[in-house]
Amino acid sequence: MNFELLAQLTITGIVLGSFYALMGMSFGIVYQTSKIFHLANAIPFAAAGFAAVWSAETFHLPMFGAFIVGLVAAVIVGLLILVLGYFPLINRNATLLSLFLVSLGVTVAFPNLLQIVFGTQNKTLQVYGADGTLNRAFETQVYNVGFLTITQLDIVKIIVCWLVVLCVVLFVNKTRFGRSITALRTNPTMAAAVGINSKVVYIVVFAIGSLIAGMGGLFVTTEFVAYPTMALQWTLIGFIAVFFGGIGSLPGTALGGLLLGLLSSWSSVWLGVQFAPVVVFGALFIILLVRPQGLFGKAAA
Amino acid sequence: MAYYGQIAINILILLSLSVSLNLLLGYAGRVSMAQSILFGVGAFTAARLVLPQLTDKYNANVSGVGYGMGWPWWAALLGAIVVTFIAALVISLPAVRQVKGEYLILLTLAFQLGGQQVMTVWEAVTGGPFGVAGIPAIKIGSMSFSTVKADSTVRFAILMLIVTVIVIAVCWGIGESPFGRLLKTLREQESVLPSVGKSPIRPELLTFGITAGIAGGIGALFAFSQGAMTPVNFGLDLSILIVSVVVLGGVGNIFGTIVGAIILGGLDPILSNTVGADAIPWRAVIYGGALVVMMMVRPQGLIPEGAFRRFKKGKTTEEMTPAEAMESLSRVSATHEVGSAPALEVEGLKKSFGGLVAVGGASFTIAEGKITALIGPNGAGKTTIFNMITGTFKPDEGTVKLFGQDITGLSVVDIANKGIARSFQDVRICEQMTVLDNVAVAVPKQAGEGLTNLVFRPLKTRKVERATRERALECLALFGISDKANDLVGELSYGDQKLVAIARLLATDADVLLLDEPTSGVDPANVEGVMQGVRRLRDLGRTVCLVEHSVHFVQQLADRAVFLDQGIVLAEGTVDELINQQELADLYFGS
Repeated sequence: MNFELLAQLTITGIVLGSFYALMGMSFGIVYQTSKIFHLANAIPFAAAGFAAVWSAETFHLPMFGAFIVGLVAAVIVGLLILVLGYFPLINRNATLLSLFLVSLGVTVAFPNLLQIVFGTQNKTLQVYGADGTLNRAFETQVYNVGFLTITQLDIVKIIVCWLVVLCVVLFVNKTRFGRSITALRTNPTMAAAVGINSKVVYIVVFAIGSLIAGMGGLFVTTEFVAYPTMALQWTLIGFIAVFFGGIGSLPGTALGGLLLGLLSSWSSVWLGVQFAPVVVFGALFIILLVRPQGLFGKAAA
Repeated sequence: MAYYGQIAINILILLSLSVSLNLLLGYAGRVSMAQSILFGVGAFTAARLVLPQLTDKYNANVSGVGYGMGWPWWAALLGAIVVTFIAALVISLPAVRQVKGEYLILLTLAFQLGGQQVMTVWEAVTGGPFGVAGIPAIKIGSMSFSTVKADSTVRFAILMLIVTVIVIAVCWGIGESPFGRLLKTLREQESVLPSVGKSPIRPELLTFGITAGIAGGIGALFAFSQGAMTPVNFGLDLSILIVSVVVLGGVGNIFGTIVGAIILGGLDPILSNTVGADAIPWRAVIYGGALVVMMMVRPQGLIPEGAFRRFKKGKTTEEMTPAEAMESLSRVSATHEVGSAPALEVEGLKKSFGGLVAVGGASFTIAEGKITALIGPNGAGKTTIFNMITGTFKPDEGTVKLFGQDITGLSVVDIANKGIARSFQDVRICEQMTVLDNVAVAVPKQAGEGLTNLVFRPLKTRKVERATRERALECLALFGISDKANDLVGELSYGDQKLVAIARLLATDADVLLLDEPTSGVDPANVEGVMQGVRRLRDLGRTVCLVEHSVHFVQQLADRAVFLDQGIVLAEGTVDELINQQELADLYFGS
């Protein structure tokens, strides 16, 4: 393998890995606080994409207006799932398995509902131009730096993803509210005793997780298209980043995501891009075998 | 006829896949998201095994169909079962290190979604997005079984019915066997199995393997019957549909699964006739919604586990008095030589968590055949010492000797098998299981816990099972609760639940029994019963060590006591000696 190819693949891997890290943050903050295997995190992701496309066409919103609608929609559906789906079960001390089953039901129902309402066609994010015509909202520019190629969107993606990682890590580790998240995670009984309201913490955490998932959905919609089942594979990537990087360690999750992105990019030389899921799965498999707590996770006492 | 035949086939396939998942989800409390892809792995494996070999005469490119190994259908069917069974064991391998349901969910979900993608690109095996065609049908004599022609569709439906009945019988047989009892215990209280000396990992993995193997076999039959298939047949939605069938019908109840499969499988033809093209998404909305609604309003499902239990009731054997139970239990000989060494020797045990020293070098001995109490104020490190003796925590320093043999650092399962059993502060009994099953699970060396015995030595298995149940009944009789043997533990009073937990300890045959706060939370009227029970353990020659806060209880019961404070032993002696020392009493009661 020559150097130019390696360098290009590394760039692609960083772009991919940044997105993986973003998805890892989204699931990681929810999972480490609530222990819920929140598969329904796929729903804010898809909801953001569809809400953006729909609002841009219906209300003639500019691109950023549509983004805001998308993010608001993501947070709203995320919180609806928590409040209507999880809280009733948490209130009666249901098992984590039953919470997962609720998540599963929502995850399968929602994209199919989208399909019934919006049809099966892919949705491109389009905005009305000054001349009143509907055009694709964002055409990315391609930059060539020497022998390397990177798009404008890729650069935005890297910056946004790592900003989000930074914000989430700082929020959890440095703020007062973040400490109550940690308290709830490590000792729920004690947290309740010192007056931490677990419901409030859950709401904040799910709002953040859904917001980030929504950002993921907007990236995919802007770069490609929105479609009902667009979220599943990325949600799974978020899960894998968490378990691969280390449960309970958000920086570990982010680094794990980055590493997975690089691995799937580099391996495409030998295996072809289609087999990236095999590489990701294989990496997860090996890590769980040799280090069940994840690459950067702390062993549980 | 053929139309209804095809509907019946679809429902029967869904039913078989769901019944096998119920074994995992209902009995073991673990969920697999890969049932659909494993069904597909079986289908493609069978297709490649059964398709004719590539020869000059039979050229795949010319004929437009796939080629393969040219095996007979039954060999291909077996091959599919074996391949999916092994695939499942491999996928779940990392879950071995962590006995937690989430790992199986993660791994199976990743396998399902990754596998779907690989199926659409791995043309050599799956034929890519267009799939495989020309798969020969099952032929027995001159009869063929496939859905290609009308009369053979009905024949295949009948064949599928027979297969489904077999699958139900197999899953029922496994679920209701001693092996199934292990699975239910795993579902209810996963920490209990290791504490009675049984590894939870083997049953968990094996069950996932069986679930997968059945899915693979059904997949093979699907391939033979359809003649052609594409990867689209094996998506995540099907996996979720199967989970929905099990949950809707009732986890842990195979009859419920039959009802669930008929309801959700029957939706298909109804929806195709009403909403037409939107039938598939509508169906997904309905079963996804059903899953959510069921978890909200009726988590036990339409037909809950044990719905038919009351019909089985009333078969209790004649009551046994505690004295009779004592008589027959005392025949069980101790595994360790009497009087060889102290039952337990704890030497310089240390454990700290982070900077917090929980136990700072505790040394004491526990004499054989006596009741010894560990006492001391809260935070003295009593439960931590229990956890180190039983292997739940590895001590930072120090040794634990059982009858002179060093057992420090062994696993929980090994230590339990060496002869130390423990109870837990929070009883940890399995509420959805009968009292008898709660105790029977602890009886060692059960033939029926091995699947090969279940299949190849059914008579011996039955005999051992009868002995096991008898044994469990004796243990219950010793505490005067054998009349409740067929009740669900969840229906008992808390005091009786504690007795069940102690009976479970006794059933393990362990010589040293560690009781963690046996009377905490028990109402005063029942404390006497628990005390009597503990005395009977001693009268049987068992060595008892207990942690207890009630001084009254300790005074009445314990032969000796070890006084701990802040992780070190302050004094040893009889209870009265310790209580009469002013400084200890002050420490204990607060001065």
